[in-house]
Amino acid sequence: MSEQSKQEIFEVDQHLIAHSNYFAGKMGSKFYTTLRDKKKILGVKCLKCNKVLWPPRKTCVFCFSELTQMVEIGPYGTLESFTLVTYSEPVHPRKAPFVYGIVKLDGADTGMAHFIDEVDIDRICIGMRVRPVFSKERNGNILDISYFKPV
Amino acid sequence: MNRNVAIVGGGQTYHAARRHDVNQVEMVNEAIRAALQDAQMSIDEIDVILISNMEFFEGTHMTDCWMVDGCGAYGKPGVKITTGGTVGATTICAGAHHVASGLFDTVLCVAFEKQEEGDTGAILSGVAHPLWGRSLAGAAVGYFAMMGSSYMATWGAKEEHSAMVAVKARQNARKNPHAHLKLDIGIEDVLNSRMLAWPIRMLDMCPASNGACAVILSDEKTAKARCKKPVWIRAMETAHNEQFELDWRDVTTKRPIFSKACSSRIYKKLGVSKPSEYFDVFEIYEPATWAELVWYENLGLCEPGEGFKLIEKGITNIDGPIPVNPSGGVLSTNCIGASAMLRVWEAALQIRRDAGRHQVPKDVHRTLSTAYGGTNWTVMMALSKTLDD
Amino acid sequence: MARKAQELISIPITVDVPYRFAAGSYLTRFFIELRDNDKIFGIKCPQCGRVQLPPRIVCAQCHVKNEEWVELGNEGTLVAFTIMYFPLTDPTTGKPHKSPFVYGSVRLDGATSVLDHFIHVEPDMDKVWVGMRCKLVLRPKNVRIGDLADIQYFEPLEGQKRPLKQMTQ
Repeated sequence: MSEQSKQEIFEVDQHLIAHSNYFAGKMGSKFYTTLRDKKKILGVKCLKCNKVLWPPRKTCVFCFSELTQMVEIGPYGTLESFTLVTYSEPVHPRKAPFVYGIVKLDGADTGMAHFIDEVDIDRICIGMRVRPVFSKERNGNILDISYFKPV
Repeated sequence: MNRNVAIVGGGQTYHAARRHDVNQVEMVNEAIRAALQDAQMSIDEIDVILISNMEFFEGTHMTDCWMVDGCGAYGKPGVKITTGGTVGATTICAGAHHVASGLFDTVLCVAFEKQEEGDTGAILSGVAHPLWGRSLAGAAVGYFAMMGSSYMATWGAKEEHSAMVAVKARQNARKNPHAHLKLDIGIEDVLNSRMLAWPIRMLDMCPASNGACAVILSDEKTAKARCKKPVWIRAMETAHNEQFELDWRDVTTKRPIFSKACSSRIYKKLGVSKPSEYFDVFEIYEPATWAELVWYENLGLCEPGEGFKLIEKGITNIDGPIPVNPSGGVLSTNCIGASAMLRVWEAALQIRRDAGRHQVPKDVHRTLSTAYGGTNWTVMMALSKTLDD
Repeated sequence: MARKAQELISIPITVDVPYRFAAGSYLTRFFIELRDNDKIFGIKCPQCGRVQLPPRIVCAQCHVKNEEWVELGNEGTLVAFTIMYFPLTDPTTGKPHKSPFVYGSVRLDGATSVLDHFIHVEPDMDKVWVGMRCKLVLRPKNVRIGDLADIQYFEPLEGQKRPLKQMTQ
């Protein structure tokens, strides 16, 4: 049977909607409840590597030791890197323009990604000292810190 | 196989409906530490780490990348495997390929599911073709319910036969400290449980479990030097079935069904004429009771249509002549990503005589584990106690 | 020492991903025929002769191209079914189907593949059985969109009685 020269192009729009619920575990829960209730940030120390890791976790990525010693880090930190996001996607947590940065909190050997705010983009520089601004309403997740701002 | 491959250690978590005390990687780490302990090996001796779970079930992609610390995978080769419900077993197949090839000596195979964390109904619907059937996605229950209705109509089996399978599974699970549903139930309990999709009742169906399993494979030289009770992988078989064709739920279908075809292939490879005599224990993949009866037939343990008579006569009980799923099976523990690996690991425990209270009383030299999913994509693995078995 | 159980934190996340699926030339033609011409087409493999639904370019068993479109009748035989008691959610709409309802696999006359859909019959074991003859019912033309949902359901042909013996050869 001969095909028509012009065939209708069939495209179908669908959504896949899934609700998940991530459990933080005991150490993760301690991190989040301490953030929420005490406005303190915890990392975890590997005694073998002599490193303090953020986020806190139960196994050291470098040496596979079991980690138990949570230690307070920050609140001040140093900006290791940053970027200005200038386009908006539905999945972005904020509308552009906004700044993401990696902050190495004092006492930690690894960084934390978060928003950098209350500063002009041309004044942000690597090595800048920053401190967290806590949200008034805190629920036990990373947005209990609203953003980091220059000291 | 180019080189012989042995299971030299393994471990699993205590599978449960809720594991709020651990996050995904911590749960997986429990199984891995248990496996390393069992093998008396350190993580540094592992060459490759393979990890598997149902894609996106926990709402996170690239779970291998997110679990590098807990898996000891930092700087090491390894890949993530996703083959649906069979993935636990195909990960062991992939691990065996790594070792048999001669390229690696020791492989850690990990499989898990933290099922409570994800929206499994929604994600599972993503397995259905978006334009052909997704809106009607029946979920596993509808799937196996159709198999059950076809089986009853064709062979005259009754709902009681399904209940017998459910009872055997959970009573076996009571002897397995790691199993999820350790239920002291009888046939009446099953027949009184809530009807989900006729003929499948609540107790005819597998649970949703949180759990992980880890198995360590090595080459013959390492196995003989380091392991007191190596369990040998003698043959593996995997096969894809065609998409769209879901009539493997119709028990009278004449089309090639790979749960049947793979068994013929593996029997041919091993020179098996009577599987019920050749293998001492079977660990098969039964998300629903009816699936087990069809497995009996697909594995050639009885003639087509006679599966329900085997359960009726107690032939497949833990102390019967053909023990099937002494661990309690998928019906008792279903952390989907790990379930197929648990079939292999539980079979290995039987060979090692390490299954504790759910150890079958008879001598175990050879086992067969199976898994399938979706379109009837099937995987089978034969294990043995010695290389002469 | 008795102490309060540790508070265990969980974080809910919803992922909502939009997709735009291309049906491809064969499925497009199938859906257009269904939507506009009330017709169901299968495709026949020149080698093994299977009439496949949905129509697809390659016969997976023979590895040859399928080119012969076969118009199927709108009657068929129920091959398997279930009565669904718990309300399944339609993942494309997010709304639950009203339960209990019957759905099953029907082999349309002339087809080798089966088609899964709702069976419009009372969810009563005396009213539905394997082997029952059914006919396809399409939605009114003005609401069809070019999807399997343009099929409203299968319904049993009139005047059938459940056979006393269910065994088949």
